[in-house]
Amino acid sequence: MTKVLLVDDDPSILESLGPFLSRTGFEVLLASDGLEALERIAMDPPVLIVLDVLMPRLDGRELLRRLRREGNWTPVLLLTQVGESVERALALEEGADDYLNKPFDPHELVARMRAILRRARPGKPPLSAAWELRCGDLLLDRRSRRVSLHGEEFILTPRALALLEYLMTHPDELLTRERLLDAVWGWDYPAGTRAVDTRIAELRKALGDDPAQARYIETVPGQGYRFAPDVEAVT
Amino acid sequence: MKAGWLAIGVLGLGVMLGAAAWNASAAANPWLVIRVQASVLIFGFGLLLLVLGSIEWLRSRHFEQRLNSLRKESEEERRRFLRRLDHELKNPLTSILAGLANLDSDESEEDRQSTRRSIQSQVQRMRDLLADLRKLAELETRPIESGRVDLAEILRESREMVLEKPGAGDRRIDLTIPHAPWPLPLVSGDRDLLFLAVHNLVENAVKFTEAGARIELRAYEDGSNAIIEVADTGPGIPDEERALIWEELYRGRAASGLPGSGLGLALVRAIAEKHGGKVLVRSRPGQGTVFSLTIPIDSVI
Repeated sequence: MTKVLLVDDDPSILESLGPFLSRTGFEVLLASDGLEALERIAMDPPVLIVLDVLMPRLDGRELLRRLRREGNWTPVLLLTQVGESVERALALEEGADDYLNKPFDPHELVARMRAILRRARPGKPPLSAAWELRCGDLLLDRRSRRVSLHGEEFILTPRALALLEYLMTHPDELLTRERLLDAVWGWDYPAGTRAVDTRIAELRKALGDDPAQARYIETVPGQGYRFAPDVEAVT
Repeated sequence: MKAGWLAIGVLGLGVMLGAAAWNASAAANPWLVIRVQASVLIFGFGLLLLVLGSIEWLRSRHFEQRLNSLRKESEEERRRFLRRLDHELKNPLTSILAGLANLDSDESEEDRQSTRRSIQSQVQRMRDLLADLRKLAELETRPIESGRVDLAEILRESREMVLEKPGAGDRRIDLTIPHAPWPLPLVSGDRDLLFLAVHNLVENAVKFTEAGARIELRAYEDGSNAIIEVADTGPGIPDEERALIWEELYRGRAASGLPGSGLGLALVRAIAEKHGGKVLVRSRPGQGTVFSLTIPIDSVI
């Protein structure tokens, strides 16, 4: 069975989400703060960690940093509480594989966990931990926030860049508008999905990507978008 | 600060009295002339201090009083906000509790289904409220993106989007955007936030009117601002409610029974102010309402 570690300091979250994850077929380990999680991970390594950010003793962000520093690339899904883009950018910098804003639908959590597990390459850093990403002629330098196509740099609005970053770290995955809105904007807004379409259009224009014959961003009718599968980390 | 000015005033008064006493004791002194002149000078200096000190003391006292009244006002606003928040949370929670109680006694699967749906919808209501609260809090702290934004396009999109809603098409929604002598100038700001603001106003116009009503969406400029107007032939906003609609979680009488968090207009105002603009309302009960959103034109063009 797939062993996952759920870390949250709020007992109500552990009490309700734990059994839910068990019922959906995971073997669930629980920890109520970062230090306890570290002990658990050392004793009984999980294949995926679902991690809350704000916790006493050792918070989720610090735990993640420690793991990555030790070269532990166990996939991590970060549960953020505040919808600030700063926090999300940080999560990426620290090598979280995905993040989900509270409150969330538990089914959505499971879908994300499965997607991470599908993407994971055991023992190797995930794309989300790479500083530079390449997809064909498209190159994204996440540290300097620069993008280039065929070696030529171009300018994007900060939000379009954040969107491209999320797309490139989640290649070949169906991403709904709601999910992109939650992940990149931190919004839980029905009207906001229009904002996603606007930024996708901006990206496509900059990339010279024809929606009918997409090289990079494919439209999945009635559902969302999917980024090309051939994304690799530049080392 | 205030006490400091008072002390300077008192010091000035002291210097004046001292100078006067010195002057009075000057009789039969060989340095008489010099002393009289010096005492007059010192008296003048004291007078200056007295006047300056009193003026500043009065000013700082006035300032403090204003600060106090502002503080009281925001205290009062905070209390009102908490009262409303309490109210907004109480209702969905009560209904969830009732739903959970019903779930145990519901006999048929059909009943249970409908109870579950009702619980879900109350949970959604609380989620929406939380999303709006978070958005407001973020607006205060997070810097906004600054790009060149076409408000005319946003107005067109908002119209399309509300027309997709069931029933919205029963209203006549007209759109007027200038083309001559030039199109509506671009503004500088965060497109997603401006869309949210305009969309909220248009959505409100649909929400608070009935089938057959007229809604007019207009855009124009005055040389330094782009102005968006959302006008409707709805019930209008009562005079006594007009100042309150901007407050967080305030819901007017017309809003009872309608969906919404009571944060929509507070958001619109916060977004307008973040862009250096403003939003105003004019309304006549029984005739309708017009909201106007003013955003400064992008000066870089």
